[in-house]
Amino acid sequence: MKTIALAVAAAFAAAAYTGSDALAQEKTVRISGFGAKTGVIRLFGINSEAAMLAAAEVINKQGGVTLADGSKAKIVVDFLDDRCNAEEGISVIRRIYGSDAVVAVGPTCSNVAEPLYGILQKRVDDKGDSGLQMPVFTDVAIKGGLAKISEWSFRNVPSEWTMYSSLYYWLKAKHPNLKTVYGGVEEDFAHSRASWYAVMKDRALANGYEVMGESKWLLNDSNFSTQVREMKKANADILSVAAHPFTTCGLLKEMKRQGYKPKLLVGLTSTSSMEVMQGCPKDVEGMIIPTSYAPVNKEAKFAADQTAKYKGSADLHSMAAWENMFILKQVMESERISGDKSQLQADRRKIRDGLAKLKETKGLLGVTKRTEDREADKPYLFVQAQKGEWKVLHNPL
Amino acid sequence: MLDFLQVVVDGLLFGATYALIGIGFTLVFGVMHKINMSYAAASIGGAYLGLLVLKVMAGAPAWLVFLCGFLGGGALGYVVYLACFHFIPYSSPLATLMSTVGMLLLIDEIIVHATEGRPLNYPAMFDDVMLRAGEFSLRGDLLLVFGVSVACMAGLLILLYRTKLGLATRAVSQQPTAAQLCGIRIARVNAVTFVITGLLGGIAGALIGASVGTLSPLLTLPLTVKGLIVTVIGGLGNVPGAIIAGLLVGAFENVFQLWRGVTERDLYVMLLLFVFLVFRPGGLFSKS
Repeated sequence: MKTIALAVAAAFAAAAYTGSDALAQEKTVRISGFGAKTGVIRLFGINSEAAMLAAAEVINKQGGVTLADGSKAKIVVDFLDDRCNAEEGISVIRRIYGSDAVVAVGPTCSNVAEPLYGILQKRVDDKGDSGLQMPVFTDVAIKGGLAKISEWSFRNVPSEWTMYSSLYYWLKAKHPNLKTVYGGVEEDFAHSRASWYAVMKDRALANGYEVMGESKWLLNDSNFSTQVREMKKANADILSVAAHPFTTCGLLKEMKRQGYKPKLLVGLTSTSSMEVMQGCPKDVEGMIIPTSYAPVNKEAKFAADQTAKYKGSADLHSMAAWENMFILKQVMESERISGDKSQLQADRRKIRDGLAKLKETKGLLGVTKRTEDREADKPYLFVQAQKGEWKVLHNPL
Repeated sequence: MLDFLQVVVDGLLFGATYALIGIGFTLVFGVMHKINMSYAAASIGGAYLGLLVLKVMAGAPAWLVFLCGFLGGGALGYVVYLACFHFIPYSSPLATLMSTVGMLLLIDEIIVHATEGRPLNYPAMFDDVMLRAGEFSLRGDLLLVFGVSVACMAGLLILLYRTKLGLATRAVSQQPTAAQLCGIRIARVNAVTFVITGLLGGIAGALIGASVGTLSPLLTLPLTVKGLIVTVIGGLGNVPGAIIAGLLVGAFENVFQLWRGVTERDLYVMLLLFVFLVFRPGGLFSKS
């Protein structure tokens, strides 16, 4: 009897030991992604989710995140759909806030990011501000200057201002005979509009180009005959197109029909994707775009391969999501989050403070500097559409 | 002046596709007195089905893609009839309206899922042909679009006014009970109407894809709106009215864009719709 009792006690002790080990292995930290997963730009959301899942798998295979007590936790990723709609985005972030997620990564669209940041607490420790206290680390929404809206918002997106400044400067040096620029802009899409008026046009003027005007269309337009005629009349040396793949392809095809070919084509950052290569590979030949991602080194190729396993493709947007995951792992460990659900808000605050402290992070193309207003100064290069692929044309760094 | 003329001609040529979409809306209304909100989406869906030919036969000629789009549109038309009209009681117009709205969203979402929202290259015929007279130019592919649209419209009018099927269709639209008493099978006429409008829609979708050069699910909602505008301006149930209205909307759209810019263009097209609703609610050829 005594022997049996001892054996049972030993069995319980062993189970408790392995049980606690199993419990430690089951510790998880949730990171919630969100972005457009439905609608015509669902590809952005699909790619970001794939990159986040792939990065989480790599991190978890390496043991996961080290918590304050020295134990390890696996990263769990979920991804919510905001349909590129501001109201839905706000609803989604509130849902994420109510969950056990320690940080949110997203959104896809600038028209979601701007109002979403607006409902976050503007200044930390401001007791009079009842805004959400949730760190949001954006991967895609690229319209300039948004992160300064709230001290809980951070972005890992390239500065289009810096990239186009550098691009026009380089073009001026490389092609001194090209003196004039004409624009084409999607008027009803926040990113396109901001990129032309506040960035491309401004930077072209700053680099000594004469900007002869711009033609406008809407995101859903399918007839570009009037716009191309305007472009032909202007007859500028460089055509800068601030538009997304569907209308970019429609415009380029109309240009071909009307026999209009400018000396140089410059495109929008978001156009340097496979969508354009599938929609109009021949017509986009020669277009130059600045981008913060290209598979030019081992890390970048590895990230692309891992993301492809989750049926996503690598571009400057999805690879920012990949980078975000590793930055967050670093921050969670340096700030020693507890991973304890009862201390969720404290952990969120630690992550926010950790992101705010960062001066630089490691990106796929090199070191990314963090700015005072919680934006990123990312390395970039220029790619050109050549024979159905985006090839690196010039590395300014 | 030349710019204005160019813009009007381009608009008229492109408006032929709006006319085809408008005919589809108006024909269904004329026969069943119900609106099929999913018509434009099914037209684009038909155009996408046409692209399946390229999966089987890479480098297939454009006319084969158009033909498959034409047939695919017809098949989708029948599916829409079965799903949204056949099993829903005739006395529930709201139920059929909502079911077609649901079908519009479903087709849109299926397209987005199947293509991941990526725009797809769409083959065209005569896209490298440009007829020029000095500064004035006419696109060869748009002339083809116009020509095919006119042929389809003519074919439809012949079908409606010169065939037994057309007679039956007009009988059902005028007096369904009396038509039934005369031995006309209403369900069969309705189904055939949907197949015919589906065929028209499929070719309209294919022609629109060809004229843009790229097919995208972004096209479904604007085409739905344009189709409804054309239907109202042309007069609900009036096929010749829809034809003229389609051309007019295409032309006015381009003219408004030239005068007021792209940001105000749609505003004026909507104002045109309101003007008709207030002063001529029966459409272009209404008596009052």
